[in-house]
Amino acid sequence: MYVLQQLVNGICQGSIYALMAIGYALIFGVVGLVTFTYGEIIMLGAFSAFYYFIVFGDNLILSLLCGFVVAGLVGIVVHKVCYQRFLDAPRYISLIATIGMSMFIKNLAIIVFGSTMKGLPLFFEGQNLVIAERTIDGVRQQLSLTYLQVVVIVTVVVLSIALTLFLNKTRIGMRLRAVSQDRKAAALVGVNVKNTTLLGNCIGCGFGGIAGILLGLYYNSIIPTMGGVAGLKAFSAVVIGGLSNIAGAAIGGISIGIVENLGIAFIPNGSGYRDVYAFLFLIIALVIKPEGLFSRRTGTV
Amino acid sequence: MILKIENLVVNYGYISALRGISIEVDAGEVVTLIGGNGAGKTTTLMSISGLTKIDSGTISYHGQDMSSLNSDKIVKMGIAHVPEGRNIFPKLSVEENLKMGCVSQSRISNTVIQERLAQQYQLFPRLRERRKQMGGTLSGGEQQMLAIGRGLMSDPELLMLDEPSLGLAPIIIDEIFELISGIKNETDKTVLLIEQNAVMALGVADRGYVLQNGEIVLSGTGEELLHDEDVRKAYLGG
Ligand SMILES: Nc1ncnc2c1ncn2[C@@H]1O[C@H](COP(=O)(O)OP(=O)(O)OP(=O)(O)O)[C@@H](O)[C@H]1O
Ligand SMILES: [Mg+2]
Repeated sequence: MYVLQQLVNGICQGSIYALMAIGYALIFGVVGLVTFTYGEIIMLGAFSAFYYFIVFGDNLILSLLCGFVVAGLVGIVVHKVCYQRFLDAPRYISLIATIGMSMFIKNLAIIVFGSTMKGLPLFFEGQNLVIAERTIDGVRQQLSLTYLQVVVIVTVVVLSIALTLFLNKTRIGMRLRAVSQDRKAAALVGVNVKNTTLLGNCIGCGFGGIAGILLGLYYNSIIPTMGGVAGLKAFSAVVIGGLSNIAGAAIGGISIGIVENLGIAFIPNGSGYRDVYAFLFLIIALVIKPEGLFSRRTGTV
Repeated sequence: MILKIENLVVNYGYISALRGISIEVDAGEVVTLIGGNGAGKTTTLMSISGLTKIDSGTISYHGQDMSSLNSDKIVKMGIAHVPEGRNIFPKLSVEENLKMGCVSQSRISNTVIQERLAQQYQLFPRLRERRKQMGGTLSGGEQQMLAIGRGLMSDPELLMLDEPSLGLAPIIIDEIFELISGIKNETDKTVLLIEQNAVMALGVADRGYVLQNGEIVLSGTGEELLHDEDVRKAYLGG
């Protein structure tokens, strides 16, 4: 029962990673480069919700919207500073620019928000959805989901479906897919590659912002330096999923969440090594299938 | 005259690809641009499409200067460019690739899209058979057909083809040239055709230009060029 419970926790946590990874994959797809600023985008999303709650009160849905918008706007800045100016320069210049941007945002955040841990409001405190229950030797065991976990999973599922529909069924979505598969061909069929890249980058960052809020709610703590590990996990999930493949990224994220929580379940006193399991998993996955575990799928952006 | 290029100069860093070429294309014509490797043929088409920065000279379409326009604007003016190397979307199905051809025309209705799809399938029955297959898994010849079909999906006034016969079996090349003469005889579309296969290109073209080291060295009707001594020596094996 304990293991099952950890599996459920893993799926839930993994769905947050999945959301981060989906945003990352979208950005990687349209920009064609890995970004090192994504973790900071996640962090800013979380902090935007922190201040949203203080100023406007505890409305969860609106705070997610706020995180999406704030992160998307920061995405525009990142785009202008790191990508647009270096379109004709060698690609690694942009990459280094995102590293610089990441340091800048992180340190600015420490100055503005303070370097201490902050808490987000507790939603649905103590409310559980019991899935299964049994009694062994007089000890009652439960398999349950907290309401917060339910909200997290539902949010991620809804957003993933919405993005998939958007990419596959709308003209703008088709343009995003065109740009991420072949920029030149996209230009030749009349797509405005520059604006489309900007839009894809914004939406990807917006997803990162929402994921940041969910992460903050889940752990009930946010801190300006939270972006480092978060960004790395998003990146790992995307690599495991086979880069720029949205479905793969989602599965990669969920598997990282599961691996982390099962690691905690099986290894005694293992909860301090959560991140170790995740990155170990990445390394093993890369050794087994360097092109990404799910790269054969056709769900590319 | 729909397309007019005057004194076009394009440099890639220190390499000069085009040294002041002038080309005119009339409505309804098939005009071909022939020349050896590195002559600047692809660069010419890329400049028309707005994908290469031009250093000097003008390109105008229906009298409107478009040398500073973005490529998406140029497509909207009715120009389709089927690139060398085809640039098929590898992870879209054949049908999605075709639909991408008119993704920039936000006003056309679904029925029009379906009509145009049907036209391409009629032109290339092989594409219909493979409409669910991923673009990246098509053979070279099929990819070329798909690239042309995608270009035609926007119902362009001017169709620009960059070496459509490159790397294809003779029988497929025949098919492609048949298609080009079909476009010439049965539609009012204009074609700007780039080829190394000079015999076939001059055979179908109304007029042609010979490009060498970034300069136009000869021009005339297809017939004239086909019988020109220099052209025969340089491109037709004597
Ligand atoms: N992106 C680029 N950077 C630098 N030089 C380039 C670039 N593209 C083309 N060139 C150079 O410009 C010249 C003209 O090239 P272009 O591709 O237009 O030739 P082409 O006539 O299409 O040749 P081919 O028949 O081999 O395709 C060549 O010398 C080529 O090396
Ligand atoms: Mg060429």
